[in-house]
Amino acid sequence: MKKKQNIFLKNKKFTVYLILAFGIILTAVFAPQIATHDPGEAILTEALKAPGNGHLFGTDKLGRDLFSRVIYGTRASLPATFALVGSIFLIGSAIGIVAGYFGGWLDAVIMRIADMMVAFPGMVLALAVAGILGPSITNAVIAVGLVSWPKYARMARSLVLKIKYEDYVEAAKVTGSKTRHILIRYMMPSVLPTLVITASTDIGGTMLELAGLSFLGFGARPPVPEWGLMLSEGRSYMQNAPWIMIFPGLAILIVVMVFNLLGDSLRDVLDPKEEE
Amino acid sequence: MRKKIVSIATGLAIALGMLSGCGSAGDNAGSANASGESHLNFGCYVYSTSFDPAAYQNASWQGMRWGITETLFRFNDDSTISPWLSDSYEVSEDHKTWTFHIRDGVKFSNGKPCDAQAVADSLNRLFEVCNSTEYSSTPRQYVDMASIEADQEANTVTVMTNTAYADLRGPLCFPFYTIIDVEGDLTDAEHPGGYTTSVIGTGPYVLDSFDELSKSGELVKNENYWNGEVPYDSVTMMFIEDDTTKAMAIESGDIELTENITTISDLQKLESDDAFYVSKKSGVRVGFALVNFAGILGNDVLRQAVFMAIDGQTLCDVTVGGMYNYGPGILPDTLAYDSEKLVNPYGYDQEAAIRLLDENGIIDKDGDGIRELNGENIVLEFDTYKNRCLSDFAEGIQSQLAAVGIGCNVNVLDSDTLWMEMQEGDYDLSNSNWITVGTGDPEAFLLNWYGDSGENFFTEDNTDATNYCRYDNEEYNKLYEQFKASLDEEERKDLVVQMEQVLIDDCAVLVHGYYNSTMISNKAKVSGAEIPAFDYYWLTTDIKPAE
Repeated sequence: MKKKQNIFLKNKKFTVYLILAFGIILTAVFAPQIATHDPGEAILTEALKAPGNGHLFGTDKLGRDLFSRVIYGTRASLPATFALVGSIFLIGSAIGIVAGYFGGWLDAVIMRIADMMVAFPGMVLALAVAGILGPSITNAVIAVGLVSWPKYARMARSLVLKIKYEDYVEAAKVTGSKTRHILIRYMMPSVLPTLVITASTDIGGTMLELAGLSFLGFGARPPVPEWGLMLSEGRSYMQNAPWIMIFPGLAILIVVMVFNLLGDSLRDVLDPKEEE
Repeated sequence: MRKKIVSIATGLAIALGMLSGCGSAGDNAGSANASGESHLNFGCYVYSTSFDPAAYQNASWQGMRWGITETLFRFNDDSTISPWLSDSYEVSEDHKTWTFHIRDGVKFSNGKPCDAQAVADSLNRLFEVCNSTEYSSTPRQYVDMASIEADQEANTVTVMTNTAYADLRGPLCFPFYTIIDVEGDLTDAEHPGGYTTSVIGTGPYVLDSFDELSKSGELVKNENYWNGEVPYDSVTMMFIEDDTTKAMAIESGDIELTENITTISDLQKLESDDAFYVSKKSGVRVGFALVNFAGILGNDVLRQAVFMAIDGQTLCDVTVGGMYNYGPGILPDTLAYDSEKLVNPYGYDQEAAIRLLDENGIIDKDGDGIRELNGENIVLEFDTYKNRCLSDFAEGIQSQLAAVGIGCNVNVLDSDTLWMEMQEGDYDLSNSNWITVGTGDPEAFLLNWYGDSGENFFTEDNTDATNYCRYDNEEYNKLYEQFKASLDEEERKDLVVQMEQVLIDDCAVLVHGYYNSTMISNKAKVSGAEIPAFDYYWLTTDIKPAE
């Protein structure tokens, strides 16, 4: 317990960002309590009202309360982002460890597939996949996932290759350890820190990519309160009702920034070389 | 750290520089250039890279909209017909032989005379080449032509048709039938591929150049124009796809004239600005959603409740900011079809909609907020696309249906996919904005609801049919047949009103409203820029440099 406290006290920046990130997650959890209106309730006659007068952030083109929609937006963006980063982290690392450890034809096949995926510009391929699957948040997650896993696989593989021939691994083999045991007990721990840092810094970027797909009409569908989609809806009102774009835009900016900073500071915490 | 700050500052400076660069380009735009010649910059949507009326429909429209080509007759705003290249006509007893006198002294822009022979050649060439799959225009759709002959001496063209037409002048106003100089070449033997950008017409302007990449073109004055002075020496037709960009371009002075800005906030801003004139007119277009009778909306009670749940007036006035005028009939109320006689028993009444559903056992049994029909949640598939506020209607309707417990997925598609799903019957509601009286009367348009016991249903083996919604009502079918056979103007009008009423009583088509076309001009530089009700005509000689 004492040691843990030290970590948080020693890394004040990390602690602050962590609290902020938790704050964002709590916003998603308690959205119904925070929101002042039902985010889906449309009062057509109340359309495009400026902030104030009972609507903190104003209303959108269908007269829905923008504040409530921005708050509920966390519920669309965060789970999708976490699910996406979580799954590519798990799948990518597992594939990478297996490829690196076993080598041979398995390695060659997996890595050539990964190379193929990397050869495409990520967003373009994601657009194509989302276009084929049809627009929905789930499909957007699948689309971005399909183009993002190779990064983790390649990283995990290279880390595994580095330690594969270390004495302690050889020793484990000689003493008759099972392959599964070696993978879990020796390989995993050595690749995890680096991959965790990568994953945490990826959260922000992934969220932007998902919002981007929604903005282009390949992600969330109306009337889901999703920030990218809200930006897209507000685009045509940019001159007369700028608040429709400003607040979802700010929400994206803040959340992406917090998670990026959190990822950076997590690296400082986990990477002892940076320590003074 | 300092490096970082410097790089961020540099980045910001570059970004600001790029942004400010956007706004300062328009200084050389204006009504007169250095040599004293008048010039107009017209920012518009470009639907086609061809101007050959035989190529495809949008190509024929574009020639006319750009003031390059003209037809024998033209529509006025109230859908009456004025003479244009033809100044008089005669019709036989059986309404199958029509003789048009071609106006004397009309010349093509290349100086050659546009006489009876030239007109007959142009029309004959159109019908001839459109038999080939290489050309997509469908001139036979509106004129069931038997023969076209010229009498050079009398300067008349005689058109014989297979079926009788109440007034053939109407169909001949359609842009398919624009007259171009084909030099006697009726099969395009000497013009392989047609006249893509080499169309020679009789209009006030001549296509000087067209850039396929930017889809923009340059027009110059037709020195041989037959109908008075051409106001501009040259016109730049600038392709602008995005509505907000159009609005910003006219505000910044990059263009002096633009058409159809459909984002409400941009339009309202220009309307409230004294420097601009916004011409707005409810034309011949209707925004509506087809109701798929082969799907869940085939249920009468559900359909009636859906119609009553939708507040069409507020959708038109607020949600799309007056871009449409509301009305229940399928034809715009500005047309002469006695729309005041129509009665709508299914007007907006949210409580009545809820009551109707409750009373008929269409209720939400599992408590998820959505009512069920036959044990399944009612979730309508509403296909729409981002054009003329159609997707705004779809989203507004989605929210209003949610309020009475009816689920609705809004599928924002591209127009091709929407059309495909419409043909395949893969929708519950599918909205579009169509021209109602493209040839002067709604015969072609009303055919969309003519069922004829399924004969006119669009299915794989009946691909010529146009009834995409599987609506089949005996009374409507009978009225339509009567209408088609009738040659009496008054009787036809009366039948149209009756057909409209049948559609309303059956909740057969969800009318959004009647579309207002717009044309926006810079008052200081352009005068006379009025949008016609028929949007076949954009650039006319009425549009002149301001005094």
